[in-house]
Amino acid sequence: MTAHVDVDRRTLGGARRRIGPFGLWIGFLLLVMAVAFGTWIYQVSNGLGVTNLRNTVMWGQYILFFMFFVGLSAGGLIVASSGRLFGATRFSPIVRLAVVEATVAVMLAAIFLFPDIGRPERLWHIFRYPNLTSPMVWDFTIVAAYFALSAAYVWLYTRADLAAAGSPLALGTADTPESRARDDRWKGILAWIALPAAVLLHSITAWIFGLQISRGFWYTAIMAPMFVASALVSGLALVILLALVVRRFGRLHFDDGLVSYLGALLAVFISVEAFFVLSEALTAAYPGAPFEGDPIARMLTGQFAPLFWFEVIVGLFVPFVLLARRSWRASPRVVAVAAGIAIIGIYVHRLNLVLNGLAISPIGLPPGVSVGTVQDGSSFAMSNWYVPSLVEWIIVAGVLAFGALVFTFAARWLPLQPRQH
Amino acid sequence: MPERRSPVDLLSPVSRAYGELEPPSEHPRWGMVVDTERCIGCWSCGVICKSENNVPLGMWWNRILTEGDGLDVPTSEHGHPEMSWTPLACQHCDNAPCTKVCPVQATYIREDGVVMMDNTRCIGCRYCMIACPYGVRTFNWGAPDRPNGLETGMVEARPVGTVEKCTFCVHRLEEGQVPSCVWSCPAGARIFGDLNDPDSRVSRLIRDRSGEMLLEEKGTLPKVRYLPARRRQEL
Amino acid sequence: MKLSRRRFLKGAAAVGATTAAAAGGTAFVLLGRDHPDVAASAGVDRVVRTTCSPNCTGSCGQLAFVRDEMVVKVQQAADYPDAAYNPRGCMKGISYHTLIHGADRILKPLIRTGERGSGEFREASWDEVLERVAGDMKRIGQRWGYDSIHVFGQVPGSGYIQKGANYRASALLGLTHGTSFDFNGDLPMGMPITFGVQNAEHEAKDWANSRFLLLIGANPVETRIPDVHFLFDALEKGARMVVVDPNFSGTASKADAWLQIRPGTDAALGLAMAREILAADLGDLDFLRTYTDAPLLVRLDTGLRLRERDVVAGGSEERFAFRDERSGEIGWVGTKRLGMPRGSRAALGGTYRVRLADGSRVEVAPGFELVRRELETWTLDRAEQVTGISADRIERLARAYATSKPAAILMGGGSNHWFHGDLTGRAMGLLAAMTGNIGVSGGGFSVYVGQYKVRVNVGPWNNPDGAKAHIVPSIYFVRGRSETMHPDVPYPEHGFHGLVVTFANMFVQAPDVNRLHETLRELDLVVVVDHQMTETVKWADVVLPAATWYEKTDLTATPLHPFLQLQQAAIEPVGESRTELWMWRELVKRIAPDRAAAMEVTEDEAIEMILAAGGDRGGPTEGITLAQLRDGPVRLNVPDPDIPFLAQINDLEPFPPVSLPAPLEATAAFLPTRRIEFYKEEERFRELGETVPTYRDPHDDGVHDPSEWPLTLLTPHSKWRIHSTYGNNPWLAEIHGGRPKVLIHPDDASARGIETDDLIEVYNTRGSITAWAEVSPAAGVGAVTLPEGWWPRDFAAGKGVNELTTSEVNPIHEVHFVANMWSPSTGWKDCRCEVRRVEEAGRA
Ligand SMILES: Nc1nc2c(c(=O)[nH]1)N[C@H]1C(S)=C(S)[C@@H](COP(=O)(O)OP(=O)(O)OC[C@H]3O[C@@H](n4cnc5c(=O)[nH]c(N)nc54)[C@H](O)[C@@H]3O)O[C@H]1N2
Ligand SMILES: Nc1nc2c(c(=O)[nH]1)N[C@H]1C(S)=C(S)[C@@H](COP(=O)(O)OP(=O)(O)OC[C@H]3O[C@@H](n4cnc5c(=O)[nH]c(N)nc54)[C@H](O)[C@@H]3O)O[C@H]1N2
Ligand code: SF4
Ligand code: SF4
Ligand code: SF4
Ligand code: SF4
Ligand code: SF4
Ligand SMILES: [Mo]
Repeated sequence: MTAHVDVDRRTLGGARRRIGPFGLWIGFLLLVMAVAFGTWIYQVSNGLGVTNLRNTVMWGQYILFFMFFVGLSAGGLIVASSGRLFGATRFSPIVRLAVVEATVAVMLAAIFLFPDIGRPERLWHIFRYPNLTSPMVWDFTIVAAYFALSAAYVWLYTRADLAAAGSPLALGTADTPESRARDDRWKGILAWIALPAAVLLHSITAWIFGLQISRGFWYTAIMAPMFVASALVSGLALVILLALVVRRFGRLHFDDGLVSYLGALLAVFISVEAFFVLSEALTAAYPGAPFEGDPIARMLTGQFAPLFWFEVIVGLFVPFVLLARRSWRASPRVVAVAAGIAIIGIYVHRLNLVLNGLAISPIGLPPGVSVGTVQDGSSFAMSNWYVPSLVEWIIVAGVLAFGALVFTFAARWLPLQPRQH
Repeated sequence: MPERRSPVDLLSPVSRAYGELEPPSEHPRWGMVVDTERCIGCWSCGVICKSENNVPLGMWWNRILTEGDGLDVPTSEHGHPEMSWTPLACQHCDNAPCTKVCPVQATYIREDGVVMMDNTRCIGCRYCMIACPYGVRTFNWGAPDRPNGLETGMVEARPVGTVEKCTFCVHRLEEGQVPSCVWSCPAGARIFGDLNDPDSRVSRLIRDRSGEMLLEEKGTLPKVRYLPARRRQEL
Repeated sequence: MKLSRRRFLKGAAAVGATTAAAAGGTAFVLLGRDHPDVAASAGVDRVVRTTCSPNCTGSCGQLAFVRDEMVVKVQQAADYPDAAYNPRGCMKGISYHTLIHGADRILKPLIRTGERGSGEFREASWDEVLERVAGDMKRIGQRWGYDSIHVFGQVPGSGYIQKGANYRASALLGLTHGTSFDFNGDLPMGMPITFGVQNAEHEAKDWANSRFLLLIGANPVETRIPDVHFLFDALEKGARMVVVDPNFSGTASKADAWLQIRPGTDAALGLAMAREILAADLGDLDFLRTYTDAPLLVRLDTGLRLRERDVVAGGSEERFAFRDERSGEIGWVGTKRLGMPRGSRAALGGTYRVRLADGSRVEVAPGFELVRRELETWTLDRAEQVTGISADRIERLARAYATSKPAAILMGGGSNHWFHGDLTGRAMGLLAAMTGNIGVSGGGFSVYVGQYKVRVNVGPWNNPDGAKAHIVPSIYFVRGRSETMHPDVPYPEHGFHGLVVTFANMFVQAPDVNRLHETLRELDLVVVVDHQMTETVKWADVVLPAATWYEKTDLTATPLHPFLQLQQAAIEPVGESRTELWMWRELVKRIAPDRAAAMEVTEDEAIEMILAAGGDRGGPTEGITLAQLRDGPVRLNVPDPDIPFLAQINDLEPFPPVSLPAPLEATAAFLPTRRIEFYKEEERFRELGETVPTYRDPHDDGVHDPSEWPLTLLTPHSKWRIHSTYGNNPWLAEIHGGRPKVLIHPDDASARGIETDDLIEVYNTRGSITAWAEVSPAAGVGAVTLPEGWWPRDFAAGKGVNELTTSEVNPIHEVHFVANMWSPSTGWKDCRCEVRRVEEAGRA
């Protein structure tokens, strides 16, 4: 009983201090979610025609955010398990936050599939009639597994403290030395599964694209490694940002040294990513064959040049420079900025990948492919430039809001701060 | 309300005979030959396809590409114009990327080689459209738009949110008739038959006039083959 | 193909195949084969065989698939007894149900409420409109005479019964019926002038028998879609095809050689070829002697032929002189039989003196001597100058044509639709004759134009008890009478005061449309009968909704194939639409009850009448019954393959064969010698210096000075439409985008700063239109091309292309008069213009 009371004082007391802004924040998120949900209903009842997707560009914003969040989910397990495997104990203050981030991210990734498909009510068909040759089925499996994995992590890292605090979230388990030992053993085992799982998750998501001989821009072996690299970048970057945010709200404590250490690590990841981007562009551009060459030309100098150079300069070069110098990355602000634009850079990278891959219809002869809906003039198009519609933005915002909500609650009620003893 | 009959049964004997399939082998593998020498880019095959299969406005299962600078506009290499047409619908690939990627096997290959759609199963992920190198699949983006509301055709419309494409007119094959586009090609540029029968007209044409595969290098092994244009004899 | 030329990566395929197998395997295992049976056709209520009959030469048998009284599919019947004709039909015909049930379908009678042309109408009952029209017609009839009401209906060939009803009613009421074959510029005046016939083309199937196909101004790949395969059949058998066209047409893309000719100069090409053939001694002179007027002597003093009467007192008017080279004597040929007296060898050249009956001596020369003199001036170099085709290509063409047997000349509207199209026809006729290609399978000189041909005896249906409608060439309706108009033309004494347009989109398709609009001022009544809300309908006072050929019964035939076919109703007339026969019956009842009985005939009875009339021995419909026709197409009683002039070539029967529906006497007058005539002795030919085949610059060059108006506007027929019909076809619009595009050559474009998709103005002194530019090497230099038939509403400025075309009349076409046979033929392509950019692409 008493225990309960002072738990309450610890948490609610904190709450009482910030009830205003906290309530507003939650209210805001719920509002966004409500609007988005309504919009989704509208989309379902009118068909995907309410998006700006057509036969020419049939994949867009939703798939893009699926990939993007799969990538973001990387950060967590890397921090967690590499902490274990390579005894990088410096990570330990943020490990819990990392695994929470991973769980939420991969959950959002999965959620993005619902607005993307034409018949969401049939999604279960994937389990009823799975086609083992479909990378999408592989991806479903790995996403599910990965979610379970990160959820398990969260549990293992927070169980004991929850139990100690008598939180119902401990599901009645107790905080005993034995149980802690068991948790630790499991953490060790999970680490060995988690790392390859993470790599697999990103590779398979990459293969959804990379195995398609129909799309010259995607059909390349480097797709998987590049996905892993970009996942490391975006994942770690997000962890850094969230860590700093949560620290600001006093729910987490660690020294700036860790921040600049993570910054350094991020710089390494960025350089790896940059290396892949370069070697891909070169390999594709060098022969100058139309099939692989065209999209590259579009990327380097054409339609998509702005996106590409933004990705390279803003997304890779600038953050790298910011993080390269010890003195600069000493400042959490700088690291935060670098991390922020690195994430944007990766988003743009994904955008570029999807749009450019679909920009030209497979057989480039007039009149092109049938668009799929009535438009004035001909019903065919040779190429297509796609900008997400308002509907797509609202729905994306809704899913993000949901993610923010879950994470907020986690940060609020899960003991992210390891207990020192 | 009068009880309805199959449009094939209602044909006159002469018409019906015109559309008869060549007697197929024991295990037929249906295929089509398109003669690009004869093709005049008239789109009759595309239009009858829309009519036969009740394909809504904005969607085409079968389109005719101009090998030129624009629709019916020739290219001109050193002031010497050239133009030809390439009708393009589902190639019914033996090694069909679309069937490989479909997560729910909503698109699959029948024993007779026809690459088929199951629109009651399709979840509308559009992965098959990504995978198809020929851009012949079309998605139902919303409620179908039809000319002045006119429902046409001899098959049921597909539900919104699913993908559709050329079916080789299986509903006609079942009744021993060639696909509608083959029936309606005024230039005799479309020939249909059993690729497993070495003596079928399609097999012979592919042999004698070296029928080519479209995007052969992608290894999709299409069952639609294209006969190259004849060599011109100058004056 | 460009696409698949890349080398085949066996590896990829092999790997692919294995994975495919894997896929198949897993699929099989997991699928539990529970895919629904999608492979059953949805049923229909009935399938009805009818005939597609726009103003197109196809006349293609179609099946209408009906469900719930809606036509849900149209598809070729493919039931021609001659399998070579299966299937028959194009993308337009098989999508006609989108028009039957389309947004522009007129469902109710309409009466104008706004200004003429405003398109403001109110719906009315049939009773009201019939009373109104009958009343107005009576008023006009009493005030100006019934002949001042002009009934304009297109090409009878595509519907003998319903279109015949126009003639029958006009005959009963004394209305003036207009003409179309000549008005359409399709009447190839070279034909009556040279062969004494309206036209004489080989059936399309016969193309396949040719070794050499010379296409001038014809674009079958786009305008003969159901027949074009016969060309490929010939090519597959090793024939060669040469296309003469200013534009790289669809047909040119299939040809062995494309000769890019300067518009309107085909005659020059023909004359140079003829000269070359003679020079190379490749001509068939005996053919000329046997069948043509080549050997017949012409008096150089009068320019008239030397007749027996001139030489022998009391000699015959119809015996013509030739000079026997062997005896050096003059011989005589009559008009009863072709050929020359046995043992003679008629001179084709030289000049001679003969003593006339009155003792005077005159110089004479064989007609062909005079032809040859004209040809002499057509050196290859001069021809190159005029046509823009290199001398050596002309030479090679001439030799190839003369040495490949049989060789066919296929001429189309592109060459015929000129003020001087008759001269082109005469030159081509000369080529065909001097190479012995007349009356032989795979040869011939065929002009393929509209579906004008009356193949059956429509007399008893069109002309009740011999009563005939006055027939006035519709060009005189547009322009009023010309000074040179033939006296036999029954032009109404008080001019025209009423107009009925039926089966025609006159205000879009007629030449010189602005002039046509002026006629409206004189008109107290404009009635338009149609089933689509066309531009012409907008100008009507009263609109009568017509049934389509899927909703009524008719009888049709075409020049392109020899089959007689029915139109049969697949569904009830949509809305309140009615058949033309019904409308006329109701009108005659109200205007002239005393004559109404003559309209109390059903379609079937009318068909029986026609079959009976042509059913006697050797008649076109011998042995054909309505019952047979109900089951499908029936071959008319014509030779197989259907080739003109067989009786002349094989049995030496005199020219011309009969051209229905005219009596033989009428057309025989075109050929005093009753032979193929290259020399025309009639006075106006002599005045205008066109006694022998020659060349004249395009007529519009005289109206629009080429230095000021450097471009020629060509308006060929579009593959996407039949004229304006199908212009509102939603499926086809999806393909071509529904925007009128003007084809212009890169040189002409850059000179005017024009780029593709720019909005441009095309204008001359007659009118102006705005459309979008398509800069393409397919266009001829100096020629801009905008296919006819776009609906005015599709143009940026809402005005159609015939704002610019000319309606001028060639006096040669007025030398004789038999409606639609020797009658003023128009010149659509004879049209100069200039072009300027209005708006850049994107902003347009
Ligand atoms: N799809 C379709 N088919 C049709 C019709 C239609 O409207 N649409 N209309 C039908 C009717 S009624 C008719 S009359 C026919 C007409 O059809 P065609 O006989 O083919 O005549 P056009 O299409 O007017 O012109 C044919 C070609 O002549 C070329 N040409 C233009 N000027 C000249 C010239 O001075 N010399 C030469 N050598 N070539 C020239 C044009 O570029 C064009 O490619 O088609 C019939 N068939
Ligand atoms: N500039 C230019 N103009 C041209 C030509 C050209 O080459 N250049 N070509 C000329 C030629 S060759 C021709 S043949 C003419 C053709 O001229 P038109 O025959 O006037 O042209 P269409 O557009 O076919 O008009 C036919 C009309 O008849 C209507 N109709 C169809 N079926 C029926 C029916 O059953 N009953 C009734 N009452 N109406 C019906 C259609 O809806 C359509 O409005 O065009 C000429 N115009
Ligand atoms: S119908 Fe025949 S000719 Fe026409 S486009 Fe199709 S294949 Fe070519
Ligand atoms: S053409 Fe495209 S849709 Fe058809 S089988 Fe091949 S990959 Fe599948
Ligand atoms: S859209 Fe339908 S058919 Fe295509 S891959 Fe997805 S589920 Fe399969
Ligand atoms: S086979 Fe049938 S479905 Fe396929 S293109 Fe032809 S008509 Fe259309
Ligand atoms: S439009 Fe002409 S060619 Fe086409 S189907 Fe009808 S009649 Fe035949
Ligand atoms: Mo015509």
